[in-house]
Amino acid sequence: MGVYRVVVTISYKRGLKDPEAETIHRDLILRYGYSSIKEVRVGKQLTLLVEAPNPEEAVRLVREMCDRLMIYNPVIHEIQVGLSA
Amino acid sequence: MPLTPEEVEEIRKILGREPTTEELAMFEAQWSEHCSYKSSRLLLKLLPTHGKNVLVGPGRDAPAVEVFPGVAVVFKIESHNHPSAVEPYNGAATGIGGIVRDILTLGAKPIALLDMLYMGNPKDPRARWLVKGIVKGISDYGNRIGVPTVAGDTWFDNSFNTQPLVNVACVGVVSTERLIRGTPRPGDVIVIAGNPTGRDGLLGSSFASKPLGEDPSQEIGAVQVADPLMEKLLIDSIQELASLGLVEYVKDLGGGGLTTAVVETAADFGLGAELFLDRLHLRTELTPLEILVSESQERMMLVIQKDKLERALEILRKYDVPYSILGVFDGSGLIKAYHSGRKVAEVPARELARPRTILRASKPPADRTVLTAPIRDLPLPPLHEALKTLISSPNIACKRWIYEQYDHEVGARTVVKPGYGDAAVLRISPEDVRGIAVKGDANPRYTSIDPFRGAANSVAECYRNLVAVGSTPIAFVDEPNAGNPEKPEHFWYFEMMVKGIGWMAEELGVPVVGGKVSFYNEDHAGRQVKPTATIVGVGALEDVGRTTTMGLKYVGSPLILVGTTFPELGASEYLAVVHGIEAGEVPTPRPSLELRHAEYVLELVKEGIAVSVHDVSLGGLAIALAEMSILGDVGVDVDIEAVACRGCLRVDEVLFSETQARYLLEISPDKLEDALKIASSKNIAVSVIGVTTSRKALRVRSGGNPILEVPLDTLKSLYEGSLEELLR
Repeated sequence: MGVYRVVVTISYKRGLKDPEAETIHRDLILRYGYSSIKEVRVGKQLTLLVEAPNPEEAVRLVREMCDRLMIYNPVIHEIQVGLSA
Repeated sequence: MPLTPEEVEEIRKILGREPTTEELAMFEAQWSEHCSYKSSRLLLKLLPTHGKNVLVGPGRDAPAVEVFPGVAVVFKIESHNHPSAVEPYNGAATGIGGIVRDILTLGAKPIALLDMLYMGNPKDPRARWLVKGIVKGISDYGNRIGVPTVAGDTWFDNSFNTQPLVNVACVGVVSTERLIRGTPRPGDVIVIAGNPTGRDGLLGSSFASKPLGEDPSQEIGAVQVADPLMEKLLIDSIQELASLGLVEYVKDLGGGGLTTAVVETAADFGLGAELFLDRLHLRTELTPLEILVSESQERMMLVIQKDKLERALEILRKYDVPYSILGVFDGSGLIKAYHSGRKVAEVPARELARPRTILRASKPPADRTVLTAPIRDLPLPPLHEALKTLISSPNIACKRWIYEQYDHEVGARTVVKPGYGDAAVLRISPEDVRGIAVKGDANPRYTSIDPFRGAANSVAECYRNLVAVGSTPIAFVDEPNAGNPEKPEHFWYFEMMVKGIGWMAEELGVPVVGGKVSFYNEDHAGRQVKPTATIVGVGALEDVGRTTTMGLKYVGSPLILVGTTFPELGASEYLAVVHGIEAGEVPTPRPSLELRHAEYVLELVKEGIAVSVHDVSLGGLAIALAEMSILGDVGVDVDIEAVACRGCLRVDEVLFSETQARYLLEISPDKLEDALKIASSKNIAVSVIGVTTSRKALRVRSGGNPILEVPLDTLKSLYEGSLEELLR
């Protein structure tokens, strides 16, 4: 058994509007001259410490948890689940 | 819902040729049930819409009524049932966005939101997830645009587990001379302001006009992300445009998107329009078809006279509101849409705006007579257990878990906050003593058992709630939520609800000035949810200092019950939660008693004779007593022998009957005689049923014999904790 740090990132699916990100981009980043920054996406990140026999199992468990407990809504969100160093 | 082959044939006839794909999409959007009211329009004509206070009746995005000389209230209800079933957070939030924009179209300042939520069993995981998302979506959006959520109605029932009803209302105020009531004319410019258009919400109205699919997570096309930041800019800029008289006409781009906004306006005023679709500001590259029917949120159509255009655009730029000059209205009666120099659509506005109405087949379901048969031979449960079960029922228990998430005080107008009175009371403006009361009501159980009586009772309950805070009811808006109109057994409920609303509103002399209809509220197996008639009412108060809340105020005050109680346990909350029966005779609507009792209560409030008022509804007299007691932290001692009760044989009938047209009043200790004198002069049935006590308990006697005593602490913790417990 090891303990693994698993990171879940939840964001709006591509093609959906992301009002918070657009506001940050327009009213903060571009307004203060960072015109080379072309796009912003906002999301939510969860960092979890997971006890599991191996890293693959830790990721699988977290993914299952996210689906079952409806941590995100598959209709509009995409999630990335991965290990963090 | 795609067009039927007959509809496509009709379109060919209208155009005299094969329609283009763009034209077909326009027809599909506009002829959807959601936009065209094709199944409901004939029946909605039954509603009384006129009255001396009505400034703008049904037909515009929102109606307006004059509540005081020169002061208009603009209010409207909307449903976002289908979007909320697949994406509760954004579904409910965009519902708020839409209803707020409807209020803006008349130039009013939105001052309050109401949410009427009919949701699934909190013990069901999906239902609970929906409840939480819906409440959060409403609160985030409302809080961010700075409009308080002040009142509403909540109900939990298994039938709403996968398809909840999210009915939201917004109330705005505006001086009558600033009300936007212009007429679009040929040559006027069409400006689309607000968010850039994207692919989101493509044909959303069409989505809302069919049953949910088996797997709701596949309905992505119809989901929109809410943007309260843009909404706030629209609120501010449109009020400024209205106050400067720079805009003739405003319409929300809601269901049906650009097509519906332009076509309905053109049809209403006998105009045509030329639209240059490639001028619209977009979020991503879109085809002309997508531009025509996208339902991207936070967009509005402004109709501006040519010579005012530059000044109007100046205002939009000041608020950083993106806009496009899309085209102009003309006198042709035709909607012509161009893209990159190519004409993609040319459709007569009137024919597109109004499809042929359909009077759907309507038939009561076969089990109806079984459902409404009188209930006999109920076992008599221990009364204190019954009371505790009722006060813990999520339909009765305190909704603090919900309204604590809302900011209900922004704007400093709220006089009576959620949970303290039967309706919310707001000042017209922060420094004015005049105010309005608002409340939303429905009883899905009543309407599912007897839609006519149930809907009539929703109207009556809303009326009583407005009266209980000391306001004079002025107008209603309504939202019947029904099943599939193509099924006669579903459509019958809609028909009966509309008839019940129309009848009761007419009898009470209060017009139904607008509303919305929601169909196709059924699960993937085709079962309709409990059909529900939601009513929102507005009342006027000359002096908000004279309003009444429901918490008891003093020890030693007499309690009087206004109205005779009948043995009406059918369809009651008591029958449902204590006996597990959802059937029986729905309590008889009593419009003439409603009118007389309201007049009496209003006089007692005005004269300072009644100090606390509560209408008697769900859970009956016992629950009304408990709620007044809990909220005031004052005990009561009541003798049921004193309750005027005709034909009651059992004590539970006295305590839990949901007979209509009743109020429970706390009378100022030295004014009982006045209260009785006025009652006898007006021939009103009142019973002096008991007194408020320093002993903190709800005590009920039958003459000298105690039959029920529950400490207030016990009741209070059940009342305040039950819902939170279920939802935590």
